Amino acid sequence: MDREAFIVAELQQGRITQETLELVSFARGYAGGRLPAVLLTGRNIGEQAAELSEKTGCAIYQIQGDHLEVYSLEAYCAAIAEVVSERPSALVILPHSSMGSDLAPRLAVKMEAACITAVETVQGKTFIRSVCSGRYTAEIVPIAQSVVITVLPGACPPHTPESCPPGPITKVQATPRPGRTRILGIKEPLHRDSAVKEAEVIVSAGRGVGKKENLSLIRELAAFFPHSAVGASRPLCDMGWLEYGRMWESTGQTVTPKLYIACGISGAIQHVAGIRGAQLVVAINTDPEAAIFRISHFCIVEDLTTFIPVLLEELKKG
Amino acid sequence: MKILVCIKQVPDSSETLELNPSTGWITYNPFTVFRMNRFDEYALEEALQLREQDPGTSVHALSVGPERVSSTLRRAMEMGSDCGVHLLMQQDEYISPVTVASAIASYARTRGYDLIITGVMAEDDMACMTGQLVAAILDLPSATSVIRVDHRTHDGSLEVDREIEGGTRISLLMDLPAVITVQSGINIPRYPSLSNVLRARSQPLELVRIEDLDIVPVRESCSGVKSPDSSIQGVYIDGTLREKALWLKELLHERAFLP
Repeated sequence: MDREAFIVAELQQGRITQETLELVSFARGYAGGRLPAVLLTGRNIGEQAAELSEKTGCAIYQIQGDHLEVYSLEAYCAAIAEVVSERPSALVILPHSSMGSDLAPRLAVKMEAACITAVETVQGKTFIRSVCSGRYTAEIVPIAQSVVITVLPGACPPHTPESCPPGPITKVQATPRPGRTRILGIKEPLHRDSAVKEAEVIVSAGRGVGKKENLSLIRELAAFFPHSAVGASRPLCDMGWLEYGRMWESTGQTVTPKLYIACGISGAIQHVAGIRGAQLVVAINTDPEAAIFRISHFCIVEDLTTFIPVLLEELKKG
Repeated sequence: MKILVCIKQVPDSSETLELNPSTGWITYNPFTVFRMNRFDEYALEEALQLREQDPGTSVHALSVGPERVSSTLRRAMEMGSDCGVHLLMQQDEYISPVTVASAIASYARTRGYDLIITGVMAEDDMACMTGQLVAAILDLPSATSVIRVDHRTHDGSLEVDREIEGGTRISLLMDLPAVITVQSGINIPRYPSLSNVLRARSQPLELVRIEDLDIVPVRESCSGVKSPDSSIQGVYIDGTLREKALWLKELLHERAFLP
């Protein structure tokens, strides 16, 4: 069965995200090169609709309403469902972002559609995603007529603009309905730590460090490189060992160092998605099958607490 | 307030897992140790803290799965949940999130919970959808990736902060009943107390067979599980510990990361 493909575009600070363009590529891969339709939701989004139409050639549904200025689950779900739920067989593709993973399951239930999240690739009509902390990949086949999926950031190269006629823009006015959730406000982070974003070398620590004291090994190793920073996986930040500014998992941020050294990091997919821009990845982990080794150029199967001291010893010899 | 915390049992480490060639699914070997999904520990802790603030509150822990999940429900009771509900499902192969969610929804529908809390995701599958599916099936408001919860007792609503991209937070006011999924780091999960350990030892679990619940037909299936393509793996460095260290030092000089 051929499903009609829709992507749900995402805006951040009014700009079209990179992930949105990745979804266009993903959808074309699914549909044998055919362009998907784009669902763009918000308030005063005429400019962005025109930009997307010109950049991608996709047909755009410009779904607007004053109540859609900031993402809210109930309002966005109703507005998007208004366009897609009438289709007998649709594939709705969202980014695996805070919006996408919030929205996809509810939209799927509303459409009686299959819901498949954190998809990495598609082969034919089969969606591939990681399971068991990245150790295996599962092939998921939809049974329902319609499907709602979220695609991991970085899983697909972004759509590159080519000379194509701009796609038609259809304006849809969404009607506000009384909701059971109200937005009280938006809180920006107190300080954004730019160290990891700007570093040329990131030495990152995961659960494998074992004890907080062992972080000194990570710091000492990082100090050998000019323009370096210490990074962390989310569990370390949760334990209060390092500040949240040092991680990028599930924050939608990516880092782009020239060298990334992963120390005791298993390679949870959210962490991995954030380091897609690293030029050289070296990983140190005790588990030879750790998922981090799949995206590393060089793999060192050792306990970091014994390996790094020896490495430091050798580095000090100059 | 009546709170339901949904907990998943996960293997402690993926290192003991194997692929079963006859079923095409993952099998657990005798060394596989199971424990509570860490994200759900935060969910349970949040519920226990809400109970401390409002002593009329009860906290029920629920898990879906085969017999072995009872040990994780015991752990939840040792941490302080008032009781444990086991939705018994024998299947140990691919279980659709919608099956789990509809089992939870079917159990919760008539039991008057004000709040359903679960972790933002399971560590093993990272699907991030059970909580949202439960909310959608029950047609309740929901919020994901919650990093702060405040129960406003004067008007009975719930104020939460959701964590979104770049460390930004969105504050929401939700009508109850509602479903929230909590992000790790929202609190520090407690260790079991001796009195709760003793209580959990003697207190029976409520056992419900999944066949007696209203389960939504599955909308997707798993056609296979594979080990990732080994061709995309990096180069493994051979040698003794010191040889590997010397090799890495050499690489760092060669690529001009070190002078």
